[in-house]
Amino acid sequence: MPHLTHLATCTPPCTTRTWLSAPHPSLPLLATACADKTVRVYSLQNFRLESTIGGGHKRSIRSCAWKTAGRKEESVLGTGSFDASAGIWRRWEGSGGRRGREEEEGGGEVDFTTGGAGGVDGDEEEDGWRFAVILDGHDSEIKSLAFAPSAPLLATCSRDKSVWIWEELEDDNFETVAVLQEHEGDVKCVAWHPTEEVLASGSYDDTVRLWREDGDDWACCALLAGHEGTVWWVEFEDGNGIYALGEREELGGEQRAYVDVRLKAGARLISCSDDMTIRVWRRVPKERAALPAGQVKTASIWKNRDFEEEWVEEARLPQVHERPVYCVSWSRKTGRVASTGSDGKIVVYEERWRSADGVKNGGGNGDVSMAGGVTGPDMEDITAKKLHGSDGHTGGVTEWIVVAEIDNAHDVFEVNHVVWAPRADKGKRFEDEEVLVSTGDDGEVKIWTFDI
Amino acid sequence: MEADKDNANPTIINPSDLPSRRRSAPTAKRAGLFDALTPAYPSLVDASSSPEPSPSEASLSSDEETEDIDEQEVYDLISTISDPEHPLSLGSLGVVKLEDIAILPPTSPRSRISTVTVLVTPTTSACSLTTVIGLGVKVRLVNALPPRFRIDVRIKPGTSGTAGEVNKQLGDKERVAAAMENKSLLNVVNNMLATCE
Repeated sequence: MPHLTHLATCTPPCTTRTWLSAPHPSLPLLATACADKTVRVYSLQNFRLESTIGGGHKRSIRSCAWKTAGRKEESVLGTGSFDASAGIWRRWEGSGGRRGREEEEGGGEVDFTTGGAGGVDGDEEEDGWRFAVILDGHDSEIKSLAFAPSAPLLATCSRDKSVWIWEELEDDNFETVAVLQEHEGDVKCVAWHPTEEVLASGSYDDTVRLWREDGDDWACCALLAGHEGTVWWVEFEDGNGIYALGEREELGGEQRAYVDVRLKAGARLISCSDDMTIRVWRRVPKERAALPAGQVKTASIWKNRDFEEEWVEEARLPQVHERPVYCVSWSRKTGRVASTGSDGKIVVYEERWRSADGVKNGGGNGDVSMAGGVTGPDMEDITAKKLHGSDGHTGGVTEWIVVAEIDNAHDVFEVNHVVWAPRADKGKRFEDEEVLVSTGDDGEVKIWTFDI
Repeated sequence: MEADKDNANPTIINPSDLPSRRRSAPTAKRAGLFDALTPAYPSLVDASSSPEPSPSEASLSSDEETEDIDEQEVYDLISTISDPEHPLSLGSLGVVKLEDIAILPPTSPRSRISTVTVLVTPTTSACSLTTVIGLGVKVRLVNALPPRFRIDVRIKPGTSGTAGEVNKQLGDKERVAAAMENKSLLNVVNNMLATCE
């Protein structure tokens, strides 16, 4: 029976509430947003505090995010604060800087715990971090921010009900390219699609909205309604998420059709809410109809229809949480989902083929064998109707099951955030192993291994 | 006819008619698990000298607490909060009542989380004042009760048209945390809590 095991608690812990921890895209580091107006950077190799980023914000730091695109030699961290501003911090990680990152054979460990400022503007830096830019504009607290994976864009969102999209230009210049004001309440979270320039936002108004460019302007292309409470977190799955379902020797017609639909639809979205549910949403791929001859005038109508997207609620994860769910994390490597919230539990779920037809689920190397181009009534059903998962709804081709659960993860305190991160400490057992990082009201960042 | 305040003539209950516990000794300030840490919300109160517990003491006292905190204790904590409008306490105004407090024990043997639900009866129809009163009650309880309690402050059903909006705000931990970093709001709440022991 799989279970979560407490591996370590990052030290020293924060003395105030910690909101969120973001794993660095390539280095074994974790950035934790703290209510004491700082970000603590912990090492995932030895779980000790490596550096502290402070002095840039006047109120709690609610969120932080690493830039994933860009030069590997430079770490860029965005911070979102209750003071309504976002900060951009840079640190040179290259060989000329404060630490040389040498990959030795056998995986040499780099000791990140040595302090000391360095780099180009040594006097202005703390622990090597340079406060590059402050982004003002929001009217009230920033709740979340996210860098786009493949474009020089940053999204921020706020209690002022808006989502801002910024484009990064040269020399620490960020230009506002969009101010999106269609939510009817605080916007709690933003997340970028892994492969398309599409942004998702979750709100106090109980909805999720998707945004993308319509010509030159950003606009809302989909509204996902259904939650009965504030949507606290949204996240897309990995672009190759379909492979997490595992290898199948034989896929039935319905399953092949489903795989086809999934590949056309692209990455799905997951959301969690005050209503204690976690829902998976999938795009309904469009069948492109040819323009009827002689109807050039209606081109703009077709254009609008092309812009809007339809998304359906594909599944609801089994309900385990008894209080608001604050965060979910969809593993890029395994497709597993972890969730946490006010009840202090951490729960891990997996998606499998529903075994109703008696065929066993596959494991293994993640290849999904597909038949070519299956069409017909099966696919129509799957695209058209809502499919729900294993909480009693009908028709799901796949189902979600709980594989591990832990109570009182942070003693009696609420857990605000949970995220999968690559394992980097000495106990790492295999390539691509992940740990789970939880961040709580007790000021602690805890590391968990997932043991099968 | 224009009253300066929304409710110029509230019904006032005589303090001696308010529910209280007969006790010979004054309420002992119980050491919370994390008293040594900065409290969740900054507040003027809780300045009473509580000894900083060592970890073993803290876990002992939390075991005792499982028995001790009841609805009367919660009432005692909040009934002395001042109304933001009138120089009177929420208890004597009937804004908080003993029968509108409920404590739910942990839902399963593995959970240690209890829930306190407080229903607030607003004196006015002004949504903003009702929210401030609810916020005062919430902050008071979050600071005074041990962290194993989840605190739900809600407007008593049927007493206000904007109850849903107020309830949603009070239930949003992020909003409450941000509100308590807002200096003017913090001052209002601290003034309300200044009359608490």
